[in-house]
Amino acid sequence: MKDGKDKIDEAKRLSGADLCVECGRCVAACPMAEMYINFSNEMSPRGIIKKTLVGDPVIHDRNIWYCTECNAGTDTCPQGVSCRDLIRKLREAAMDENIMENAKTCKCCGRAFVAVPVEDFVFARLKEEPPNVFGLLDICPPCRREIYLQRNT
Amino acid sequence: MNEQLTEQKKMEQDFSLNLDDVRPLRAEKKTFLGYFMPRRHSFVIFHPDRCTGCGTCEMICSTRNREKVAPASASVKVVRDEKGGKNFSILCQHCRKPLCVTACPTRAIERGDDGIVRIDRLFCTDCGLCAMACPAAAPIKDAGNQEIHKCDLCEGDPLCVKHCPEKALTFTRGKAFRWIKGLRWTSQLLSFLLLVMVFIGTFCYFKTGSVSFACPTGTLQNIASTGAIVLVGAASALALLFLTMVAGRLFCGWVCPFGFVLDLVDKIIPKRIGWPGFLKNRMTKYGVLAGAVGGSYAFGFQVFCTVCPIGTLCRSYGVQSMFKSAELAVIPVLASLDIGERRSWCRYFCPVGAVLGLTALLRIVKISIGATKCKKFSCIQCAEVCPVGIIDADKLREGVSPKIPMTECIMCVRCIDRCPYGAAKVRFRWQKAVPGEGRI
Repeated sequence: MKDGKDKIDEAKRLSGADLCVECGRCVAACPMAEMYINFSNEMSPRGIIKKTLVGDPVIHDRNIWYCTECNAGTDTCPQGVSCRDLIRKLREAAMDENIMENAKTCKCCGRAFVAVPVEDFVFARLKEEPPNVFGLLDICPPCRREIYLQRNT
Repeated sequence: MNEQLTEQKKMEQDFSLNLDDVRPLRAEKKTFLGYFMPRRHSFVIFHPDRCTGCGTCEMICSTRNREKVAPASASVKVVRDEKGGKNFSILCQHCRKPLCVTACPTRAIERGDDGIVRIDRLFCTDCGLCAMACPAAAPIKDAGNQEIHKCDLCEGDPLCVKHCPEKALTFTRGKAFRWIKGLRWTSQLLSFLLLVMVFIGTFCYFKTGSVSFACPTGTLQNIASTGAIVLVGAASALALLFLTMVAGRLFCGWVCPFGFVLDLVDKIIPKRIGWPGFLKNRMTKYGVLAGAVGGSYAFGFQVFCTVCPIGTLCRSYGVQSMFKSAELAVIPVLASLDIGERRSWCRYFCPVGAVLGLTALLRIVKISIGATKCKKFSCIQCAEVCPVGIIDADKLREGVSPKIPMTECIMCVRCIDRCPYGAAKVRFRWQKAVPGEGRI
């Protein structure tokens, strides 16, 4: 059991995580602080970069699935570390190891398009709105456009 | 120790800033003038039958976003179906109640007073949750620099409309006939005054010289109770039926005095409670009609006419009948049904409406909601405003223009009056208002 060590090394290399100086700017910019009540160092970009560098089995960690893959951390980083790319690669590694319980797949095309905690957040926000009759969150955005085309021509 | 802790917590609560404090949700301003002259919002209409899928709109749009031609970074997305030969360009519809605004974790999206939904680049973190929440997935993630782009109508002068070679995209200021409302209220008020106060009892039976009119439901009951068909009476009942054959149940929406009372009652009911499912059967009124006719046959007099709210109203005016008639009590009872749904009596129970509904099967006009102009899930004003609730809001949310069942439609044309895009129209029955009627 290698736990995707190669993949993690590749993710480190591509995202430039080795250069991290732990300044914490990405944590300050991270919208996850607004989104989740249980926002903590464990799930913050800094915490995940640190865990990756130390060599923890991050791909088994649920905390990598809270990220929305936004640009905020990447834009503010003084060292040019892309926490977005790191988390993307880590998720890919996790899915290669068949850890799929936190990845939501599209009903139409089967692509993993969003993480379950993020989807839960969107669902909680839209709950007060009128009911989504065609299962909005089960279908990935490109497939949704296809469906919209079929319904309207 | 404990007190200190609670005090500390209280301090934290007092001084912690929420997103609501920093950037509160924008509330829509309601002005008195806005009721009569609503602000018209400009929008882009897409004609799917003209689109060839060339992608010029994508290219021209991307020059605005990134100062180079790169269709992947456009705010428009052309979706092509090679098998069916269909093309569609996905544009932001600028919803009345946008779901992307609700879903955005940083409140970067706002709907301005001009009706344009914009992304504020200062707050946007490009997380893509707006695309997750949008029914048509109109916010598009740039494949290059991972930014989210969304149509903002180029601040009122869209480039895609200017450059579309097939004119598949057109830009208009919309259309809202708010004056039909005034016409209808006037017609209802006049007919109320005429039927209830001037020609007392006119609606049930009226005769001058050789011209006579009669209520069709009353005539049916007459025939059932006496067992004899009087040709003059039957012919006079046909007058109203003829109107219904031409224009649908125009009587219910524009003339009916009890309908006018119900519309007035609707104005003062603050909140509706809704009915349980078993009551919401529109076939009930045909049952009531059959019961009325059968009862007349059994008892030998017009059973329903004694409690008919329209007849009661028409016979109520004047000192003599006002104090005599205990039957007047039926009006507040039936009007109070409206706390459940608007015009509950007309929807589910009225046998006069049932006769007219059966006649409306032969009507020659219809109301159709045109697919190209209708903005589907982004608007849904017609479904909100329909007093008999026959416009399917769920269908609209799915992105399909609903078909309107004309036997239930009371032709009040509130939908046409309200539609800001001019999509709801009166058409002849055989006319195809939209390609693939009903589906689109």
